Amino acid sequence: MNKQNTLTLVETLLIDYANGTLPLALEVLVETHISMNPVSARSIRMLLQLGGALLENSEPISLSEGSFEKLMAEIDSGFDKDREINNNVSNDNKLLPLPLRNYAQDIDSPKSWKRIGIGLSEQAINFGDDFGSTKLYKISPGCSVPSHSHDGNEVTLVLSGGFTDEYGTYGPGDISIQETGAVHKPVADEDGECIVLAVNEGPIVLTGPVGRLLNMLIK
Amino acid sequence: MNFRVVEELISSLDMSMGSGFSNDNQNNLSEWDSCLLKIGKYRDKSAFKSLYEHFAPRLKSFLLRIGSDESAAEEICQETMIMVWRRAETYNPESAGASTWIFTIARNKRIDKLRKDSRPLPNFNDPLFYQKPIDKSDDILQRTEEEKKIKNVLKNLPPEQAKLILSAYYDDKSHRKIAEETNLPLGTVKSRIRLAINRLRTQLEDFEG
Repeated sequence: MNKQNTLTLVETLLIDYANGTLPLALEVLVETHISMNPVSARSIRMLLQLGGALLENSEPISLSEGSFEKLMAEIDSGFDKDREINNNVSNDNKLLPLPLRNYAQDIDSPKSWKRIGIGLSEQAINFGDDFGSTKLYKISPGCSVPSHSHDGNEVTLVLSGGFTDEYGTYGPGDISIQETGAVHKPVADEDGECIVLAVNEGPIVLTGPVGRLLNMLIK
Repeated sequence: MNFRVVEELISSLDMSMGSGFSNDNQNNLSEWDSCLLKIGKYRDKSAFKSLYEHFAPRLKSFLLRIGSDESAAEEICQETMIMVWRRAETYNPESAGASTWIFTIARNKRIDKLRKDSRPLPNFNDPLFYQKPIDKSDDILQRTEEEKKIKNVLKNLPPEQAKLILSAYYDDKSHRKIAEETNLPLGTVKSRIRLAINRLRTQLEDFEG
């Protein structure tokens, strides 16, 4: 997809992030992206401030009778269920941006990766819901992902290194969006390994001759 | 995050304690920013009551306007305000004003509610647990200027544009409803919202004062 359309879709992603309607996989992708991209970080900041201003400007509507007292009673009872959620950040994955660290398995351990081609490995990430599929891909320098199309939109974020496909060149923090049916063949830059996070709404369909064989194997 | 600045701030608040919240204008903090700091530092229940009386009814109204029903709106309101009380000590006036901070908590509470059944994993990036290093050069002045500008630009928007801007915060269901009512594809509805946000961004850049 060309750069202008991609930019448009990224803007829509950022708005959906701010209003909280993204599935968790995309929410984490956007958080990772804004931790790497100051322009998008400023957009999110503006959108949250705008939300704050709209909240401040809202005409007050009373809550039901005794709401404040009920709230204080709950506070005084001292039970804080949110404290029980484990919010420690993993010590593994120091090389990954913070927002992604707890979700991925240790990227330094070979055991976390499954080899799926020459110079190409993947790691599935489970977000505990039934939304599409999310994977990390590791592509060796100069190697490529076999030409494939997408059954469902795919959003890819470069975490390290870079790749080039039919539509452009992408570096750390860049997002590439493939719409349903789009075909592309990403090739990792020669100067280093490339790791990307890919969130797919539907299964990937491999289109090259080798790919078609792989499709049969994957099934 | 510059802890020294926050320390200084809090000590200047100490000096103005007892004379109401609104004497902190020299620090560019709003009445509610100061109120939040006070709640965080002193667990001050009467300050919390004022904050609640100001924000809870506005939050309820805002949630109703963006698609929540009455009972969901009240529930999210209560859960948000409990979180405000419990997390007030982590409030950092350099990164957000009170209304932005409360909006962000409410956003998360609304997500929790929408995902209740489908989200066993917590999102570890909840802004309540991290102060995101969005922009290292942030300070209170820059942040309050940004928020003031947004409020001023919002005030002068034509009603049609204001409505579009608000609909950026609608839930999915409400976006689909607009698409149905206007006979437009969902993509077109979203794209109009995006254009309205971009226009607002341009207005913010052009806005002086």
